[in-house]
Amino acid sequence: MADTATNAARTPATTDDNVLVRVENVVKHFPVRAGGFVRHTVGQVHAVDDVSLVIERGKTLGLVGETGSGKSTLARCVAGLIPVTSGKVIFDGRDITNISRRAMRPLRREVQMIFQDPYSSLNPRRRVGSIIGEPFIIHKTATGAERKRQVQELMERVGLNPEHYNRFPAEFSGGQRQRIGVARALALRPKLIICDEPVSALDVSIQAQVLNLLADLQQEYGLSYLFIAHDLEVVRHVSDKVAVMYLGRVGEAGPKDDLYGHPRHPYTVALLSAAPAADPDTAAARHRVILTGDVPSPIDPPAGCRFHPRCPKAQEVCSREEPLLVPYQESGAEPVAAGAAATGAAATGIVGGNIHLAACHFPVADGETLASVSAKELT
Amino acid sequence: MSITEVDFQAHGVEAAQEAAAPVEGRSQWQLTWRRLRGDRVSMIALGVVVLMIVLAIIAPVFASITGHPPNTAYPIQGENAAGNPIGPFTNGFWLGTDSTGRDLFVRILYGARISLFVGVVTTAIAAFLGVTVGLMAGYFGGIIDTLLARLTDTVLAFPYVVLALALAEAFGPSLTIILVLITFFSWAGIARIVRGQTLSIKEKEYIEAARSLGAGPFRIMFLDILPNLLAPVLVVATLYIPQAIVFEATLSFLGLGIQPPTASWGNMLADAQNFYQVAWWYLAFPALFLLITTLAFNLLGDGIRDAMDPRTERLIAARRMRGRRARARKRAGSEGTAGGTGGAGPDTNFPDPVRAPGGS
Amino acid sequence: MALLGYLIRRILTGIVVVWLVATAAFFLFFSRPVSTVARELAGHAATPQVINEVINNLGLNQPKMTQYWHFLNNLVHGNLGYSYFTQESVDTMLKQDLPPTVSLVIGGMILWLVTGIAVGIISATRARSFFDRFSNVVVLIGLSMPVFVIGELLIWLVFQPLYSHGFTWINIGYSGITSGFGTFLGHMILPWITLAAVQAAVYTRLTRGQLLETLGEDYIRTARAKGLSERRVIFRHAVRGALTPVVSQLGVDIGQLLGGVVVVETVFGLGGIGQVSVQAVFQDNLPVIIGFVIIAAVFVVFANIVVDLVYAALDPRVRIM
Repeated sequence: MADTATNAARTPATTDDNVLVRVENVVKHFPVRAGGFVRHTVGQVHAVDDVSLVIERGKTLGLVGETGSGKSTLARCVAGLIPVTSGKVIFDGRDITNISRRAMRPLRREVQMIFQDPYSSLNPRRRVGSIIGEPFIIHKTATGAERKRQVQELMERVGLNPEHYNRFPAEFSGGQRQRIGVARALALRPKLIICDEPVSALDVSIQAQVLNLLADLQQEYGLSYLFIAHDLEVVRHVSDKVAVMYLGRVGEAGPKDDLYGHPRHPYTVALLSAAPAADPDTAAARHRVILTGDVPSPIDPPAGCRFHPRCPKAQEVCSREEPLLVPYQESGAEPVAAGAAATGAAATGIVGGNIHLAACHFPVADGETLASVSAKELT
Repeated sequence: MSITEVDFQAHGVEAAQEAAAPVEGRSQWQLTWRRLRGDRVSMIALGVVVLMIVLAIIAPVFASITGHPPNTAYPIQGENAAGNPIGPFTNGFWLGTDSTGRDLFVRILYGARISLFVGVVTTAIAAFLGVTVGLMAGYFGGIIDTLLARLTDTVLAFPYVVLALALAEAFGPSLTIILVLITFFSWAGIARIVRGQTLSIKEKEYIEAARSLGAGPFRIMFLDILPNLLAPVLVVATLYIPQAIVFEATLSFLGLGIQPPTASWGNMLADAQNFYQVAWWYLAFPALFLLITTLAFNLLGDGIRDAMDPRTERLIAARRMRGRRARARKRAGSEGTAGGTGGAGPDTNFPDPVRAPGGS
Repeated sequence: MALLGYLIRRILTGIVVVWLVATAAFFLFFSRPVSTVARELAGHAATPQVINEVINNLGLNQPKMTQYWHFLNNLVHGNLGYSYFTQESVDTMLKQDLPPTVSLVIGGMILWLVTGIAVGIISATRARSFFDRFSNVVVLIGLSMPVFVIGELLIWLVFQPLYSHGFTWINIGYSGITSGFGTFLGHMILPWITLAAVQAAVYTRLTRGQLLETLGEDYIRTARAKGLSERRVIFRHAVRGALTPVVSQLGVDIGQLLGGVVVVETVFGLGGIGQVSVQAVFQDNLPVIIGFVIIAAVFVVFANIVVDLVYAALDPRVRIM
């Protein structure tokens, strides 16, 4: 608590006025149960482990990570859909950690979600008008003809034909279905929309349309987004700040250009190098870092740095000591030492803020080549 | 590179693509009905069901046309010299008479009233109970779920005919006790199916979407999950009705169901087994009506399931294609009668109660 | 070792189930007013003195809990009580009537499993063939007919014509195996067919549906792609996968089976424990009814343990925990 307060004080860019959501040391464990007759807990899945971040008003925080990195779980904790094991979620100055469904109700109007699968996220038995109109019914904000008018307005706004009010989801394409999902999320004019891989199930050409729609809506309504994806290019396109998650922890975070331009964590470097490049020439010249092995089980995460079993730079200390998130300046691979920082503003930071942070004992320098096979050798 | 270059105007393109399509949506039910209408067997079965219901309703009309009330015995016109029943189309008795000289046809129609009433009412109550309990257990899980699992296991595995007999005797046979008994032994099977379906629907993202909108558990259960359950429940209910009819007939046959002189197919068949050597029609016609009715319900239930789940048809079509190719390779074997959409498809996806408690 | 522990646990829960059933049955049946029971037993013309004597003799005037403890105590010692009428011990009575029931259950079960699964496999491998369509119709008719109607039709259309023409091998009533195996078969063949008819229909349908679904799965396509013969694909790969739900259905059907047994024994006059309990129901002979209910519960519990073991043996994914 006290720690965060100092953070906020020292980082003027992320004062409470700017911050819409503040996540403090959130931990989410899922019990693993076994046994037939008497069930008992045999372990914990460490889905999210001690994550703190902020989402600024009107901005987009991108959250990247592989499957199982805990990014969707974190999103659901922020949305209040699942209770957190420990830590705090503060929305617009109010502590909404594990509050009752009734107390959460007014906040539902301010936090909305867009889901990954446009097929499974719309009830096949309900008409589009009823799906988009449901928020109005639940929160009793509009009824009858007024509701229909508002729903049709929303449909028009997201690029759907309002005359299709009475159709069923099955009669729409994937992109259109996702627009229905966007309209539903938009209905209550929320402050924050959590987008859980909103375009990863769509064709690339359709992805662009939906992303552009989201960008337009952000401008128009001053929305904040928590944008989750595993596609780094998509995240780069939409985000202001980006955080990279690995096995329930944030490995690196910072403003988009810092992170993409000067990645410090070997995992970020590997992810970036794995992303397909549009230009074949640069692709061939580029150095690809191939990660060996699978993501370790989140039931029993590795000690020390969680990335060390797969890290090309790992040394003995990595398996012993867990690295902390420390700030970096644009130029150097050396962390800004807490004592050396003149202003104090750069001394520490928080994920989602203006400061580039990374958690690594041996950060990657600009232009450094990681010990791995290059693309040329591969072919 | 990347998506920024593909900068469509967000709206328009997709919307324009299907501007020509009809504006009004077609529901799952309409599609199902269209498919069902194309299936001859199902339509005949539906016709038979409707016919039976109409006949049961207008049974008194036939009683007045023939002039034979259901419980009136005609010892003179209705029996032969030896005092045995008389055959069909004699002395104005369309299907002959029973052991005490009553009009068999009229009594069969009055029996249909009992059978259909028992079948429909018990299934309706059992479906209501089963859906409520199954939905709760599936959605909330925990203790309710464990209790339900134990309860359904016990009910489903219990030698219910014996218990039913004992209870019917203990409380005295009556229509009410029959309704209670059959319902008691039917709801658990439906609850189990509903629970399974609820568990799978619960995992869908639209349920999470509803929660994120602030919908409460009951709103989600009844507005989001229930509509998706109606299709399987309808299929199961259609298949439970004949089981309930059979159960009632079995109880009445054993003497613990509908008591004479009230006509029921079960007690008619029980009486008929003593006369099959001298009056085959007494055994044959009630059995035939019972069989036609239950068969029609079963065929209709199968037909509805296939119409709702066309995947099963595709599955068979694919297998047929494979079979054809195999045969063509071997140049041997004759082609089976293919084509059409038969009543009984394979029992995939949609739950098949196989047999509801109430058989035997 | 794990298996032994599993068995012990299953048997213990089984005992609890049987106890619950026995308790439920006891309170359900003995909750009726004592005088009604005694009046029925003593006959309608009985004087109040006679009725009181009956009540005293049967111990019906003791408090319910005393009677219950007495009942439980007897039960633990394997004593199911005594018939109200003959004073015969219920366990001896039921033991005497067991042979027809056991013959009926075992023979009928073999018949229905063999026909059901065989017809199901043939139907599924030749979906939409004439055989498939024909068996579908037969199966639906089987599902639509009450057991007693099938029994009556068999008597009317098979036994009666044959018997009146001097072919007396096929018969009704029960004749023990001691009177010659041929005679025994002749007496049991119609009851077996009757009991098996409905169940065979259920299993045909289930096997066919499961096998059709299994044949559509990827691993079957892989097996085909490996170039295995169709016969090998079906029998080595598909049938195994399709049979597991069939086995679990068997567990559910054990209870239903006893209902069928009651009806078949009544229709064919076999005189097994089913028919005896139906008579007991009409006579209000409570100890006999409760005895049958308890035996039935024991049978159901035991059969379900066997079914689960078979299930685990068939499907390696199911591990006994």
